[in-house]
Amino acid sequence: MRLIDVVQFASGSLRGSRVRTLLMILAMSIGVAAVVVLTGLGEGARRYVINQFSSLGTNLVIVLPGRTETAGIGPGMLLGQIPRELTLDDAQALLRSRAIGRIAPLTIGSSQISHEARNREVVVLGSTANLLEIRHMNLGQGQFLPAGDIRSSESVCVLGAKIKHELFGQQPSIGAWVRLGDRRFRVVGIMAAQGESMGFNTDELVIIPVASAHMLFNTSGLFRILVEAKSRDAIEQAKRDAEQILQVRHHGERDVTVIRQDAVLATFDRILHALTLAVGGIAAISLAVAGILIMNVMLITVSQRVREIGLLKALGAPAAQIKNLFFAEAILLSGVGSVAGLALGEIGVRMIGQIYPSLPVAAPWWAVLAALGTSFGTGILFSVWPARRAARLDPVMALARS
Amino acid sequence: MIQLENVSRVFAVGDQQVAALRGIDLNIAAGDYVSIMGPSGSGKSTLLNLIGLLDRPSSGTYRLDGGNVTDLDDVQQARVRSKKIGFVFQAFHLVPRLTAATNIELPLILAGIPAAERKARVAQLLENYGLADRADHRPDQLSGGQRQRVAIARATSMHPAVLLADEPTGNLDQATGKEVMNLLEQLVAQQVTLIIVTHDPAIGGRAQRQLHMVDGQIINQTGSAVNT
Amino acid sequence: MLFPDLIHLTTSSFVAYRLRSFLTGLGIAIGITAVILLTSIGEGLRQFVLAEFSQFGTNIINIQPGRTQTHGANVGIFGSVKTISIEDAQALRHLPNIEYVDPSMMGNAEVRFNGRTRRTMVHGHGHEMPNIFSMKVQTGSFLPDDDPIQPRALVVLGSKVSQELFAGQNPLGSYLRVGGQRYRVVGVMEPKGQILGFDLDDTVFIPAARALELFNRPGLMEIHVSYKANVELQSVVNSITALLKERHGREDFTLVPQEKALEVLGSVLDVITFAVGALGGISLLVGGVGILTIMTMAVTERTSEIGLLRALGARERQVLMLFLGEAMLLSALGGLAGLLLGAGIAQALHLMFPALPVHTPWLFAALAELSAITIGLAAGVTPAIRAARLDPVEALRAE
Repeated sequence: MRLIDVVQFASGSLRGSRVRTLLMILAMSIGVAAVVVLTGLGEGARRYVINQFSSLGTNLVIVLPGRTETAGIGPGMLLGQIPRELTLDDAQALLRSRAIGRIAPLTIGSSQISHEARNREVVVLGSTANLLEIRHMNLGQGQFLPAGDIRSSESVCVLGAKIKHELFGQQPSIGAWVRLGDRRFRVVGIMAAQGESMGFNTDELVIIPVASAHMLFNTSGLFRILVEAKSRDAIEQAKRDAEQILQVRHHGERDVTVIRQDAVLATFDRILHALTLAVGGIAAISLAVAGILIMNVMLITVSQRVREIGLLKALGAPAAQIKNLFFAEAILLSGVGSVAGLALGEIGVRMIGQIYPSLPVAAPWWAVLAALGTSFGTGILFSVWPARRAARLDPVMALARS
Repeated sequence: MIQLENVSRVFAVGDQQVAALRGIDLNIAAGDYVSIMGPSGSGKSTLLNLIGLLDRPSSGTYRLDGGNVTDLDDVQQARVRSKKIGFVFQAFHLVPRLTAATNIELPLILAGIPAAERKARVAQLLENYGLADRADHRPDQLSGGQRQRVAIARATSMHPAVLLADEPTGNLDQATGKEVMNLLEQLVAQQVTLIIVTHDPAIGGRAQRQLHMVDGQIINQTGSAVNT
Repeated sequence: MLFPDLIHLTTSSFVAYRLRSFLTGLGIAIGITAVILLTSIGEGLRQFVLAEFSQFGTNIINIQPGRTQTHGANVGIFGSVKTISIEDAQALRHLPNIEYVDPSMMGNAEVRFNGRTRRTMVHGHGHEMPNIFSMKVQTGSFLPDDDPIQPRALVVLGSKVSQELFAGQNPLGSYLRVGGQRYRVVGVMEPKGQILGFDLDDTVFIPAARALELFNRPGLMEIHVSYKANVELQSVVNSITALLKERHGREDFTLVPQEKALEVLGSVLDVITFAVGALGGISLLVGGVGILTIMTMAVTERTSEIGLLRALGARERQVLMLFLGEAMLLSALGGLAGLLLGAGIAQALHLMFPALPVHTPWLFAALAELSAITIGLAAGVTPAIRAARLDPVEALRAE
């Protein structure tokens, strides 16, 4: 029997009982579609996070004040206060490393901002001119903070797009004066509207020179220092240098934490990847259920088609061929089911993409392959038993039964 | 008992209208023993299904036991079938997964008769039809004659007034066939109206009244109604 | 037809087609197993997390500096121009219905004793902290009720710090250096273990005013207030808000009641548990398609039986009930097997990994079984209607 004839025979018997064939295809395609959509979502979330991170800057090393014995990003490091602060001198000292290209010290606080009668609460970020490029931020109009001495406390500020809108409406704001706390600042630039990114929204931010921020909040410490390594290869060196320079400056005490942004990224990447796998795996359970269904139906079919099988044997079909006929049916079923499921899943993914345009949903190739593989695998695996049953039927008995 | 007046039954086959019965007039009295004979396609099974209320006439009237049953709905039809009519089929039609006893019990179950009463009736029927030692056997463990005896026992379990048998001996050898006919004819003695459809003249000839059908019409009657 | 007979007839076909019934039920069972297992883990985690939080007691309100904006974290903790002070905390003590008040400040510093050093969390607190958070002192006592503005340099050690620095010796009365200043040890806390990443044993507690000085901060990070259990939360919130507004001249602080925070956290975890359960539900859906397929085949296979039943006086409804009953029995039994399997695997997981909290919520179990039966019912409807609508004459002729 040639392959084409096997396929034709099998598809003929599938067409013969249309409803049941459609239902089995439906079951298989639900499973495949579930895997595709869910892994697509997981992968979308992963890519979203990676994009957000890389949009925050490349080759970044972050220096935070404080350190605990236990490694990792403990909450204490992020929120706690420390006896020895990171200072602007510390920040400038970092530039002595040959691996370090640019730095941007950061200090952060909240204050009341007012212009004429309007006022609101804002987050104030103190930094330097380098921040714009290190953090890959986009300026809407005007200029960013002036370059120059890190210590100069010029009374200028850059407004987030939403703050500008709330304080000035449609009116021009460049050159206008606003009041932050008890000091007056001249608006020199407006950030481009950007929206939420990793919980940090520049739209509702006001950026002023770091020295001005220190005066405004009456502190001298830094919230963190963003360090840009000169190249990708220099990241590790920059991290080591930063640790060493600050240790020397702090009288031999290692009281700062230095993390590579790509290390944080890698952690997120791993977590989200594992999550995607888990979710895909849960969805794949339904493929096993679909496989059992196919086995069940095939077993019933074998007992219903006893006479037909007997006839085939009487006509000279060897056992192996009858087995192949049933395999062909299973493969056809799971094949059509998977393709239908892929299409269904793709539609689902597209729809999610339409609803949440910022989420780059797309089923990863490995998930598509795994879904196809699993559905074919279960289809074939679960048809072994029925096929063997059919092949082993005694032709005389099979023909005699009515 | 059974009065058919100008009854016709038309089937739609594709675009064509095929008349299976044409203007049948028939009176069958209670306790009659009637055979319907004719070649296949002559309409004898259609007539039987109509009498058994499995079907409805396209035109004409059907009175059963004095009541007009022509236009009963499904539920009413089912009730009449359950109470007044028993069926015996050529292919026995036993439910393969149920025991002989449960197969006999089926009409009683469907009619909602309490279990205790059912048990007694079924035991009596098994006894009457010589099946007492086969009560817990499944149909595939019974011989052809035993199967048909189970079917007859089942058909009589609700004490129907009318027993309809469609080729009851068709799947049996001659000796067993004769045995089955004797059982059915014993019922006539108990005032059951028996109608048998067959193409076998030897079987049909045993009835007091014989109808011959061709092309949906009764062309010839032999014998006569005992009581009218 | 009587109900026991309906059961009898449906089970008879169930038993007669053992293998296929088993496989059909297996489909449902796998689906239910997935649902139960996943929700068990989800619910276990939920209860674990909530227990971790509520062991501190739920009648606590946290007061933080700065106003929370529409979304995102409260920015006040970044060291803002606004502060809440120890004097604010003192003033709160005079409010009615307030039980304990604890000004707090948290940071990170080096602790030195006898040449050994250790970087740990330094918590600045008032003397009532143990009352609020149900913390217990192992030896000695907690910080005394000192002058809140100028307290003595006393320190209470977390059990881990005590272990690391004193290695089994009694630390009471010893002097150690916290960020360069000398403190006298007055107590050691009982081990508390990690709570959501915070190691509460790797901590030292000093008076809040001294912590402010150590970290050179103008204001507190938080004030914790506990109120009497039988008092309504809103009235306490109102009185605190009124008092602080009067003191500050405006509302530049945020109240976070523990109860509310727990509610939010609880509902988030509920949603996660539900979502995870729904993922498992996909398999249940496929199992439902399985029942539909098998029942459709059964109707075709048993057409002549249906014809017979009708000839014997069965009404359409009775035939419908028989097939519906069969579909529901399949799914109910499959669901039951899945329930046992899911709960069993969950318990086995718990035995193997004791760290994994597992709890099979009976509500979910009942819901899962109910949805299994519903799926069976839904899947059975179409085939059953088809069976009931069969023309008896046609059905009898089928072979």
